[in-house]
Amino acid sequence: MVLPLSLLKAAQGQPVLVELKSGDTYNGHLVNIDSWMNLNLREVVWTSREGDRFWKIAEIYVRGNTVKYLRVPEEIVDTLTDQQSQTTDKSSSFPKNRRPGSRGNKVFRRKLLNNSALRKTTLGFIT
Amino acid sequence: MSLLSSYVDKTVSVVTNDGRILIGILKGFDQSCNVILESTVERIFGTDVAMQEVAVGLYVLRGDDIAILGELDAEKESETDFQQIQAAPLRPVVH
Repeated sequence: MVLPLSLLKAAQGQPVLVELKSGDTYNGHLVNIDSWMNLNLREVVWTSREGDRFWKIAEIYVRGNTVKYLRVPEEIVDTLTDQQSQTTDKSSSFPKNRRPGSRGNKVFRRKLLNNSALRKTTLGFIT
Repeated sequence: MSLLSSYVDKTVSVVTNDGRILIGILKGFDQSCNVILESTVERIFGTDVAMQEVAVGLYVLRGDDIAILGELDAEKESETDFQQIQAAPLRPVVH
């Protein structure tokens, strides 16, 4: 089995088609994608929902939750199938320190609070 | 264990929230129900035209957009002449 997000990670640099929930489609090269499916595209052709208007854009950022689907080149799945089969059990689509129940965020917040320089500037700002 | 794991590497049919019907081989899924479909075809039904199948290749479908996912019955599939079937397109899901 291949995880959808690992497939998309492997599709970086490839031409993809993204359709948003709005129905607009974006054709371009996938530059970057994160674990929330937020993505960057380059050399984009944006097609309106009705398919009658087109715009060319150098670069765009798409928030993951607005995506309906992505179409990616078919070869990519072949390069991944073997490599994924050993790791599927423990892998998670959550980033390491944001898995449910992880202390990652709290630790980070404490570090922020303990940062005296930061505290000074914040206090200075308040008073 | 997710209920979807029994469908991996099988041909599945997906109905999306916008009323599309996609048939493809389930290659993977995750906790958010995002799925990978390989060799996907979209079946387009109409009331005055025969059913059309459009090959759309490798698909990563976001879980948010999935209404129904199920395994395709190969037997039923082979005995159905889809060219004879006319049907109105499904209406999109409204929230």
